[in-house]
Amino acid sequence: MPQRSGTCIVVGSSSGIGLAIARRLAQSGRKVAMLARRQAELTAQVATSNDVLGKTQAFAYVHDAADLDTVEPLFARIEQDLGPVDEVHFVAGVMPDVALDEFDLAKDRLQVQVNMLGCIAWGNAAARRFLARKAGCFVGVSSVAQDRGRIGRPVYNASKAGMDTYLEALRNRLWRHGVQVTTIRPGFVETPMTAGLKLKGAISADTAAAKILQARDRQKAIAYVPGKWRLIMFVIRCTPSFLFRRLSI
Amino acid sequence: MTTNLPLAWRDEDVRGFGMAVGGPARVLRPTTADEIAAAFTAARASGTALALRGAGCSYGDASTSVHGSVLDLTRMNRVLAFDPATGVATVEPGVTVRDLWRLAIAHGFWPRVVSGTMAVTMGGAAAMNIHGKNNFALGSFGECVRSFEMLTPRGELVRCSREQEPELFHAAIGGFGMLGCFTKFEIETKRVHSGRLRVWGIVAKDLEHNLQILEDMRGQADYLVAWLDLHGKGAGLGRGLMHRADQMKPGEDPEGLRFLDPCLQDVPPTLLGVVPKGWLWPGMWGAVHLRQVGLVNWLKFKAGAGEQRNSPYLQSHGAFHFLLDYVPRWHWMTKPGGLIQFQPFVPQREGARVLRTLIEKCQAAGHVPYLGVLKRHRPDPFLMTHAVDGYSLAMDFAVRASKSGRDSLWRLCRELAEIVLEAGGRFYYAKDAVLLASSFGRVHGEPTVAAFRAQKQRWDPDRLLQTDLSRRLGV
Repeated sequence: MPQRSGTCIVVGSSSGIGLAIARRLAQSGRKVAMLARRQAELTAQVATSNDVLGKTQAFAYVHDAADLDTVEPLFARIEQDLGPVDEVHFVAGVMPDVALDEFDLAKDRLQVQVNMLGCIAWGNAAARRFLARKAGCFVGVSSVAQDRGRIGRPVYNASKAGMDTYLEALRNRLWRHGVQVTTIRPGFVETPMTAGLKLKGAISADTAAAKILQARDRQKAIAYVPGKWRLIMFVIRCTPSFLFRRLSI
Repeated sequence: MTTNLPLAWRDEDVRGFGMAVGGPARVLRPTTADEIAAAFTAARASGTALALRGAGCSYGDASTSVHGSVLDLTRMNRVLAFDPATGVATVEPGVTVRDLWRLAIAHGFWPRVVSGTMAVTMGGAAAMNIHGKNNFALGSFGECVRSFEMLTPRGELVRCSREQEPELFHAAIGGFGMLGCFTKFEIETKRVHSGRLRVWGIVAKDLEHNLQILEDMRGQADYLVAWLDLHGKGAGLGRGLMHRADQMKPGEDPEGLRFLDPCLQDVPPTLLGVVPKGWLWPGMWGAVHLRQVGLVNWLKFKAGAGEQRNSPYLQSHGAFHFLLDYVPRWHWMTKPGGLIQFQPFVPQREGARVLRTLIEKCQAAGHVPYLGVLKRHRPDPFLMTHAVDGYSLAMDFAVRASKSGRDSLWRLCRELAEIVLEAGGRFYYAKDAVLLASSFGRVHGEPTVAAFRAQKQRWDPDRLLQTDLSRRLGV
């Protein structure tokens, strides 16, 4: 695996998997630009990380992933502040509660805006630079939810599927130039986003982060986290539509 | 009464954690302050007394009311706010220690005072003014309460802090639910610089050695707690294993950063990664009922030498603090009789003599506690405080199912209580099940009891709030 020592960007790092990834990167000695929407939460988390580490490894940048036009200038600002970026993790995501008879465009638009377009904006900004440098790594945290359209959260599924397909195309474009793009499809992880859901066998955000960084190191194209979800989702993907539509999963 | 409320009363078996006291009662689980107020109004109209109850972790009768009515606050459990910069949490009374630490640790904070189980609610923790393994350093739970709101039986919502209604603030904390129902707390947590603590296991050969370690280390250590094998006799009387834990300084444990994930703090659910711990209690039941606790304790004491050799080691905050949550339903091992805990607080200068006497008397009477826990304490500013500048020894007794066995245990505990009271000691109502009304004034001093009764008269003149404990003590 290529040794990287440049700055990392983690989009969506005030809680959950993004926070766990940022902590592990900071602990490994990397400079980490931590990006999130909630300022108080973000600055507190950055301060906490630096306090535990006893040195300044993490830096706070308030950013709303739905605010697509600010991505390019922010990327430039981070490089100016912290030096060249060679690793970007896009972990921002929203998953609002949706009732089974609810078709709310506002909620749907937000999910597409953050989950899919946000990833595209950061992917493009990173790709432009990584392609020129012929180096770099982009990790996008998609979801097992992208594998099938299900009754519970149609647009969450669709937004993650859009993101996932974009990441595949990006990988195919950049791979031949030495740039790595890894897609992560987490299953059940205990995070603030999934708080209140009863998820059997959920893993911790820290375990998820460890497996994500392992997939990065092994230069995986697509990694299910944890790995057993590859099998579970294979079965679900193989279920024919006439049967799948009758299920309530 | 039921018709006035949208919630329904349910008939349940309401017991203390020890299962030895309590019985059938009607239970209501309000979810808002308005519902509590409605329950108070209805109770006043019908002349019914109410007992306030949190998670029911008090060992004795502090939250029970046999054939009475109980307000269970566990469903009023929302975290209203958490300031990630200061670590101050605004919570409802049914929020548990677990809810609080999970929230706090994710932000690099830890509750200043936690009990040995994380099931305890904030309301219960404040009402009993609980303490932890750092009582000698940071004081009791009440000392980390910045303010609270209390609904009085008369329906008044009073905000209390050290500046606002300070008298009620200091009487309601530790006031075992006699003055009103807490509806909201502002609770301070403390900054931690790692998700882990540095822990030492230290073998202590007898009681005096344990006390000596407590005195030597209490200036430096953050947490100190000793497990005692109370089956030890002669030269080994009061032998045990002391645990000391210190907080990390910034930069001392970088690896500890990822331990701020709440999932990495939880007590492991399996033994050696395989055996679900929920299956362990029948084995422990066997040890209690075949009278093999002495053997188990001796093995545990001997294993302490290995732990001492491997010390210090790093341990998550959760794994260090919540020893009582290691084995789910462990207290079922004392079924059918249940258990009681007797926890005297003894002034420092009398500590060695009194504690030695208590242990000897237990052994002579044939009621040897299966568990003993020794801690160091300091006084606190609350009216009904149980803390002293000295030691406490928590002794867990399995209660025999026979009436004679039970009676002789109660007799023994009252005899022990007499020794403690003569030495100027105190008792803690989250644990007590045996004290008599005649002891109430001796525990706190008559002027203090008079002041508490005056507070009771002022805020609850109809004596709406009563528990089996308050009736036993003649509050």
